[in-house]
Amino acid sequence: MTTMIAPPTPVIEDNVIVKFDHVNKYFGTLQVLNDICLEVRKNEVLVIIGPSGSGKSTLLRSINHLEKINSGHIYVNGRMIGYYEQNGRLYEESEKNVSQQRAAIGMVFQRFNLFPHLTALENIMEAPLNVLKMPRENAKAEANRLLQRVGLSDKSDSYPSQLSGGQQQRIAIARALAMKPSLMLFDEPTSALDPEMIGEVLDVMKELAHEMTMIVVSHEMGFARAAANRIIFVDDGKIVESSTPEELYLHPREVRTKEFLSKILH
Amino acid sequence: MYRFDWVVFWKYLWPVTALQNPLIRNGLIVTVVVSVIAQVLGVILGLFAALGKMSKIGPVRVIAEAYIWYFRGTPLLVQMMLLFFGLGITHIYNFPDIHLGAMVISGAIQAGTLALAINEGAYMAEIVRAGIEAIDPGQLEAAKSLGMPYGMAMRRIILPQAAKVIIPPLGNEFNNMMKTTSIMVVISAAELFFAFTQVNARLFKPFELFIAASFYYLALTTIWSFIQSWIESSLGERKSVVRSPGFIQRVFQFKGAH
Repeated sequence: MTTMIAPPTPVIEDNVIVKFDHVNKYFGTLQVLNDICLEVRKNEVLVIIGPSGSGKSTLLRSINHLEKINSGHIYVNGRMIGYYEQNGRLYEESEKNVSQQRAAIGMVFQRFNLFPHLTALENIMEAPLNVLKMPRENAKAEANRLLQRVGLSDKSDSYPSQLSGGQQQRIAIARALAMKPSLMLFDEPTSALDPEMIGEVLDVMKELAHEMTMIVVSHEMGFARAAANRIIFVDDGKIVESSTPEELYLHPREVRTKEFLSKILH
Repeated sequence: MYRFDWVVFWKYLWPVTALQNPLIRNGLIVTVVVSVIAQVLGVILGLFAALGKMSKIGPVRVIAEAYIWYFRGTPLLVQMMLLFFGLGITHIYNFPDIHLGAMVISGAIQAGTLALAINEGAYMAEIVRAGIEAIDPGQLEAAKSLGMPYGMAMRRIILPQAAKVIIPPLGNEFNNMMKTTSIMVVISAAELFFAFTQVNARLFKPFELFIAASFYYLALTTIWSFIQSWIESSLGERKSVVRSPGFIQRVFQFKGAH
């Protein structure tokens, strides 16, 4: 019988919120994440750019286990996400534990994904009421505070179908914030919006960036330069380049980064 | 030439006189009550079968699929005979009469209701599954990302939305159910059609009596179509997706006018 020895748990510094440790993922034979190593620190705002199909959304979605990974480890707040290790092997966490981990990670989607059968206020209250078992009064007060924060106090009784795309996305941000997450993930939050509505969503995000750890998949250069501490360029499932927004946009080091930027910055 | 017996016909068509006959009165009640109970049980079974069919757990999926396969693939008549006579003769289960005060619910009615429910569940499973699959997968992802476990996400987010897709075909299923209860006559469950066959056994006026019987079913399904229109229009009020056809169109199945 062979004894399996657990590899030493990598030391995670206190202020590291997210850590990718040699993460790989395949869709069939296609490798969508290729040996990703990445650390995101508390209050850091990280922007991810890359061509479509580069794996940037997969990378983001694996942080709250909406995508499973094939090897490597992802830690959020020092805890491995979606898997636990026993005798050197990885096992998928129970649904209950995965849900608990997800509750502390806010996510905002490209297509908003608001619940169409609930009003704006009910959308925001839904998870605090049912997941956190927060008393209704508190959940409602908190939801109203968040509506005010995203500038939509007057829309509390509107259904998503009665709201513009920009308004829906701001409600979606409020809905994620209602869980008091330690980390916010944004998956192309402005890509589905009409141009005149992008500003209002980015304004809310810039405001948030002062106080939250955020990982944002977005090609909005204005946002990256105003709010991001770091930007990474992902291509073919690899992190090709990582630097500050100023550096990356003005002086990209890699040829692939240059090529990509020349396509998106006309 | 056949002489149509108007006296018998009107007596059994006109509710005031027909319902004086306890067989017909009780038969009508049994038909309505059995339809409702079998439909409710069918929806519950169908919901579990649909979730089972979509389950990640292999054996659960196999059981759900086998259930749907068998009960959609064999005649209800055979299933009902098997359940009542088959289980009875082998002493696996004899449906005993249940006494509730002055009321007696015969074993045949119980077996018939159960067979209708199990059969209906297999059809409802497909309707429920189609309803769930009509919902954008982003809804489940959003619910999960907020920390909702699968069951809670289904209950709070997916099923309330799927209900809007499920309810119109569910209404048609119930229409069918009220008519299909008549095959309980094969196990002598005292429902509406059985009552008319009993009267016919005495009077031997099959033409008059079965026309009268058909009008009772027509009345039930017509009343139901009113209720169905009302349910669907009140569901659609908040956010109309597809305008449901009006009453006249629904009853007479006019395909034009759209």
